[in-house]
Amino acid sequence: MDVREGPSDAEVVARVLGGDREAFGLIVRRYESGLLRFATRVLGSRDAAADAVAESLVRAYRHLASCRDPTRLRTWLYRIVANRCKSHLARRATGDVSLDDVPPIADPADNEAALERVQQLAVVEQALATLSSEKREAFVLKHVEGMSYQEMAAVTGERIPTLKMRVHRAREALLKALEERS
Amino acid sequence: MRVALLLACVAAPLAGQSVRIRLENRVPAAAIPIIDSLVQVAGREGLPTEPLVGKALEGGAKHVVPALIVRAVETRLDQLRDARALLVRGGDAPPATPAEIATVSGALRRGLPPPVVERVVGALPSEPRESALHAIADLVAHRLDADSSATLVIAAIHAGLRGGRLLDVSHAVLEEQQRGRTWAESFVRVRDELPDVPAAPKPGEGTVQRARRPSSVSKAPTPL
Amino acid sequence: MNPIDPRIHQVLDGEIPREALPQDLRRVVERLESAAALLAAAPEGRSVAERVLARLRRPARSPVRRLAQWLTAPHPVTLRIRPVWSLALAATLVLLMLLPEERSVPVLGEHEGIAQFVARFPGAHSVQVVGSFNDWRTGTIPLEDRDGDGVWRAVVVLPAGAHEYMFVVDDERWVPDYSANRFVEDDFGRENSVLIVRPVKG
Repeated sequence: MDVREGPSDAEVVARVLGGDREAFGLIVRRYESGLLRFATRVLGSRDAAADAVAESLVRAYRHLASCRDPTRLRTWLYRIVANRCKSHLARRATGDVSLDDVPPIADPADNEAALERVQQLAVVEQALATLSSEKREAFVLKHVEGMSYQEMAAVTGERIPTLKMRVHRAREALLKALEERS
Repeated sequence: MRVALLLACVAAPLAGQSVRIRLENRVPAAAIPIIDSLVQVAGREGLPTEPLVGKALEGGAKHVVPALIVRAVETRLDQLRDARALLVRGGDAPPATPAEIATVSGALRRGLPPPVVERVVGALPSEPRESALHAIADLVAHRLDADSSATLVIAAIHAGLRGGRLLDVSHAVLEEQQRGRTWAESFVRVRDELPDVPAAPKPGEGTVQRARRPSSVSKAPTPL
Repeated sequence: MNPIDPRIHQVLDGEIPREALPQDLRRVVERLESAAALLAAAPEGRSVAERVLARLRRPARSPVRRLAQWLTAPHPVTLRIRPVWSLALAATLVLLMLLPEERSVPVLGEHEGIAQFVARFPGAHSVQVVGSFNDWRTGTIPLEDRDGDGVWRAVVVLPAGAHEYMFVVDDERWVPDYSANRFVEDDFGRENSVLIVRPVKG
């Protein structure tokens, strides 16, 4: 649910920097859905993702003045969340996503199609969890968040050829993991 | 150094007594004679003995079977020997001080590549390397490349930073990164500001006052 | 890893049209696209907007709180328990004022620092920290959960330097501190957390 209507990012940033703290709520509501989805996929846990996104948004607010180009606010926010996720994964004993951590999908509609969808999602989530965190991040940014390689470079700080190679390897690894599960 | 070795030889039997006392009732009795002899070997070789005793006590507390405790202590002994060899390769006068051996051994155990540790040893001849190695290990723990991390910390050493101020360097990089900068940007920013790195926050007076001094805490940290 | 036909990547990267692919490769592309679509469509959980805005309305954290968080939790656990935590803090302060002579303020030596341990063990009856600093001896550093919210804490004076440690929950369960930044294999098949204590007077 991206809230894209209303003032532009640059206008909202200017309002917040001018002292209108509540205007930051517009930014939060505009981007939290995508940020939560991204963090959940990378961390494999909704609770950890919610913590990471909340903490990142607070940091973003505190350092908003250092966002050099407010028209690229979206990639800046993703970068903060991506960094937060990396720190979170580094703190864990292993960098792997724990499937135990992934909560079941809540109340699927009581029909066969919905149940099948839930099962398919579980298979994809399990397959995604077998990827290294770097590949997982690359795949999610490219194909789930729909970013261009240029935007991904702004988020991760990596060079475009590196990212392209990483996405390719991620696709291959994901396909292999899906095949093993089918 | 000869004097140090001589002292180590004289002190070893005395230390042996206290080692047995420390291990009794805390480590399975079957393992104590072997661990004791390993500790004495380490003492005679001028290696630190505390990491070996600590490992045995850890195994006992975790209810590990005697054979595994002995194996872990043997592994520790080998790691200490490897650390000494690295220090001597890096330019320390043989046989190197027990404190530095323990420091380097800890860094290797935490996964720092030997060439990186050697670079730090070379950058800090005859000075404690503990903080520098901790700072690099901090960055590596966040999945940063060990070589770049070492380059930054060595740049900080050349800029005159020592001890806890080197830990401020890794802290500053992590802070920059959490503000939305890439690792590369964070590195450059901190490097360009050397030696002016912001100090990591210290515990306030309130925290110090709340702190308890536990009843039985070792006098010195057990180096990793 | 089995490399896949490069044309699949070209289609997915928008470099050539899908129609350029033979049927079997098109199915591979569709498989990846449907996996991505499933991930994109899944519900992403509760909004964090309220907790973020509530946090922004609070005054900035003191350096002490920042240090406590830096040393311990990677995420703001305190948000969920704020009212209780405030009460617990107030109660602690009152207690400290009422019983000043019961606790002696530690005088820190040149090579000593403060370690703060925080761990979340809801439902635990006891939590203690053991490590290289207390010869892995239980019963010397208990953590406390005064407000019963499942968050256990201890602030202790330790020698400056590196220490390995674990938590012991209910006298039987050994658990590493997952909020620590650093870990090291314990040579017994598990991992210890690593803590660096900086000298306060450094």
